Amino acid sequence: MIKFLFKGIIRDKSRSILPIVVISLGVSLTIVLSGFLSGAMTDMVDQNARFETGHVKVMSRAYAENKEQLPNDLALLGVDSLISYLRSNYPDLQWVERIRFGGLLDAPDADGESKGQGPAAGIAINLLDASSGEVERMNIERAIVSGALPDYANEALIGDEFAKKLKLNIGDEVTYFGTTMNGSMTFQNFTISGTIRFGIAAMDKGAILLDISAARQMLDMQNGAGEILGFFHNGVYNDKAALAMENSFNNQLKSNPDEYAPQMFTLRSQNNLGDLLDYANSMSAIFVLIFVGAMSVVLWNTGLIGGLRRYQEFGIRLALGESKGKIYRSLVMEATLIGMIGSLIGTGIGLVGAFYLQNYGINIAGMVDNSSMMMPTVMRAKVTPNLYYIGFIPGVFAMVFGNMLSGIGIYKRETASLFNELEV
Amino acid sequence: MKLSFQLAFRNLIGAGLRTWLIVGILTFTFLVILFYNGLLDGWNLQAKRDAINWEFGYGQFQHKDYDPYDPFSLQNAHGVFDARNAQGLTPLLMRPASIFPNGRMLSVTLKGLPKNQRQLKIPVDRLDKQEGAIPVAIGKRMAKTAKLSLGDEISLRWRDKNGTFDAENVKVAAIFNTTISTVDQGQIWMRLEDLWRITGMNNEATIMIADQPMPDTSFKDWNYVNQEKLLQNINNVIEIERASARIIYFILLAIALLAIFDTQVLSVFRRQKEIGTYIALGMTKNEVTGLFTLEGSMYSLFSMFLGTLIGVPLFGYLSQKGISFGAFTADMGIGMGDRIYPSFSPSLLVSSALIVIISATIVSFIPARKIVTMNPIDALKGKLQ
Amino acid sequence: MNTARNFTGKMKKIILLFSFLFLGIMSGQAQDAQIILDKVDKNMVSKTEITESEMIIRGKRNVQTIGSKSYTEGNKKSFTEYLYPERERGTKMLKLEDRLWIYSPSTDRTIQLSGHMLRQSVMGSDLSYEDMMEDRKLKEIYDAIILGEETIDERKTWILELTASVENVSYHKRKIWVDQERFIPLKEELFAKSGQLLKKTTLSDISQIDGRWYPKKINFKDVLKSGNGTDFIIKKIQFNPAIPAYIFTKASLKK
Repeated sequence: MIKFLFKGIIRDKSRSILPIVVISLGVSLTIVLSGFLSGAMTDMVDQNARFETGHVKVMSRAYAENKEQLPNDLALLGVDSLISYLRSNYPDLQWVERIRFGGLLDAPDADGESKGQGPAAGIAINLLDASSGEVERMNIERAIVSGALPDYANEALIGDEFAKKLKLNIGDEVTYFGTTMNGSMTFQNFTISGTIRFGIAAMDKGAILLDISAARQMLDMQNGAGEILGFFHNGVYNDKAALAMENSFNNQLKSNPDEYAPQMFTLRSQNNLGDLLDYANSMSAIFVLIFVGAMSVVLWNTGLIGGLRRYQEFGIRLALGESKGKIYRSLVMEATLIGMIGSLIGTGIGLVGAFYLQNYGINIAGMVDNSSMMMPTVMRAKVTPNLYYIGFIPGVFAMVFGNMLSGIGIYKRETASLFNELEV
Repeated sequence: MKLSFQLAFRNLIGAGLRTWLIVGILTFTFLVILFYNGLLDGWNLQAKRDAINWEFGYGQFQHKDYDPYDPFSLQNAHGVFDARNAQGLTPLLMRPASIFPNGRMLSVTLKGLPKNQRQLKIPVDRLDKQEGAIPVAIGKRMAKTAKLSLGDEISLRWRDKNGTFDAENVKVAAIFNTTISTVDQGQIWMRLEDLWRITGMNNEATIMIADQPMPDTSFKDWNYVNQEKLLQNINNVIEIERASARIIYFILLAIALLAIFDTQVLSVFRRQKEIGTYIALGMTKNEVTGLFTLEGSMYSLFSMFLGTLIGVPLFGYLSQKGISFGAFTADMGIGMGDRIYPSFSPSLLVSSALIVIISATIVSFIPARKIVTMNPIDALKGKLQ
Repeated sequence: MNTARNFTGKMKKIILLFSFLFLGIMSGQAQDAQIILDKVDKNMVSKTEITESEMIIRGKRNVQTIGSKSYTEGNKKSFTEYLYPERERGTKMLKLEDRLWIYSPSTDRTIQLSGHMLRQSVMGSDLSYEDMMEDRKLKEIYDAIILGEETIDERKTWILELTASVENVSYHKRKIWVDQERFIPLKEELFAKSGQLLKKTTLSDISQIDGRWYPKKINFKDVLKSGNGTDFIIKKIQFNPAIPAYIFTKASLKK
């Protein structure tokens, strides 16, 4: 039977092509937009993840206790083995190291005397290795006001206003001056490769961005890091998986009395992001509901049209003696098949689109006069597991429902009036 | 016109389930747009109000050496002010100091506000003289960072005006809860009178907070920074949020309108006999087009009605009770309260309603235009065109 | 600055004269205290010094030993070169009166520390740069009295109490325990204006070097911070060597 219907669908293009195209379009639109809005709703959480909390973060217990003070003397050591442990045990995430530090920047004049000094808030990330994804994650390329990304470890990016205050230009040398993780004095020269603006005054006026290798050398933190952040490869925070991971990781170290032992924190448990996350999730659930509802109406209409167009055919089939029930069933079966095919195609296209938007996003910087880069100006989609099935709700159910409604007409028909229809 | 209205109404009610589905979706969309905008407005208002109440006042005279982003600037950023010229100004003195929670040195900013001030919400009025220790107020975040609770004493070390070390125990006499992290994290508040006494900096201040907007002026060592400039950061963040919100509800609206559009296309296609009948009965094609357009835009009227039914109690409740986002602590340069109270201004309500009605009318009109090009006789016969 | 110091000097002489005439006992005590301080100064301070020393810094997680060689002339000039560990080698510090420069070989930069930076700790120790910067003699900025006697490690000591006589000093009050025979301080406590103890110095391993008694180990402890403080150990010391003037110039930092 199905084989027969399938042949019908393939051979009768007018019966199949249009509905399938419409369903595919509708379903893919639903998926892309649902994904996009889920992403947009969680942008603030996401932003926090990228700049501060990661999807999960590993710190030493003592560091976590005092994390507001950027206590690098309490930082994690033996990070190489920890990272490789994390990579092999939790391969779903990308693990990156970061160091935050404070200190002073001193800009020399032509004679090497100080021409300006200012307190610096440093962030050291994997700037040089593109595979770490850090440059993209922190939106650094877009934040660059002048100059370019560092090519070498001895180059640094500094806040645009900071550079102005210290009268520094691209290519100038600047000396960082601070304390190592052991408390010793440390100096390091950097060449300014570019200036950045995040739109957050505190950062623009004092930020210095370094490659982590330079910071390790400078702060005497060989094989150390203040924090290790984990990001799910697809860029989407998965609350359940993160919580499970936090549990399993911390349980293994429960009996370890070392106050410098690593401890894992999920995004939810940091910065009180949990409630915001819940809000964002429920909002995006509402959006998905709206989409599915609207798309259902559209596809239901398509189903109706599909059914109506075939009144004549049904008339002939009735006249030839086919039972009403059989015609009705075959109509519904056909609709189910078409709905399935359309939904499959649509889900495929939709997921491709959603993944595209997840990776590249839509830039809204142009809509904003005074863009603050700390806030995301690129809106991204978020591919959540429900995107894989929500398309079938409007695609199959609404389509079948529409056909079922229009098919009710079959029962109302009197065989006598069929020939009337044939005349027309 | 009245006839068209009645006809359109009956046709829609007659369509049953589908009408209600569309109306439901449109209502939902309308409510979400309202809610989302109201939330942003509420957040904006609240963030600004908090910033004004806790930190900025209606403008500030800042000492010329003061740089809010350079803690080291505090060393020299203070000066004597003339109380006679400082009517309506609340002096605030800031001094660098250290505390030692768990034996780790933590640099803090010591801030003094007059005990009878009403300008900022910092509870200095709750700092009554206590036995021995100087009473101080700290914020919740600071209490967490320094692991302090109400009644705790901790050693505070500072320098007096000559640079001589001084240290004394201070007692946490008040812990306040604010959305503004810059008056919380790393800050210890005491009465200005106490701070003057322990530093010997009588009649000195770092900034003076105005209780009403003033013209941009500067005198001697003091530069006026107006409120708008102080609030710049909040405006920036809200603007971005608004831009992304616009995209979100544009998409929502578009998809709801798509459903209307599609239904209209179907109506025009299915109801040709009906269209033909109308024309045969003497309606002009334009009148029929108008009828169909009215039917489409009536979805939006229905949803306004339904939206009012649901929205008034729901939003009334929300703007009273607020929505909890927890104490979202990450510093985005803008405060976010434990609860945000959405704000629904009349202009927001009217403009959102107009957007929905107008756009619904436009998408209803586009497919209905086809009626003008129809052949009435074919239409009457029900011949599919 | 100089005139101020002369002025306070003169003042002190006048006050001394007055107290001698009218307040016999008190002045006698004050003068005894001054005499003791003078004797301590004589023992501890020489016109010039070259020392090789080690600083032992006990961090929370490790202990660091930093070696250095210092040249000093009176209280006003000093030049220090760090010798080890490798990270610190070649770092030099020059102090002239109230200014301090640090040179780092890796950056080839000389940076003057000012204001707030002087309040940071030296190499993570319990000592701030400022603690090393005081270039006035104790008796110039403090009035001393004898508070009593105490026996520390079987050595009889005077307890001197020093109260600031000028305004711009870091520590309002100090207590010094001075060995009665050798005129060496064995312990010192630094107090805030309020009377709260801030820092504690313990001097030990007193031995005779070039005919004078000298403590070879000094422990500094910031009592508000946790930990065991920082040890300062004298490896080698020369009293009154000739130090060429160029040592105390900024040019010598880069050598």
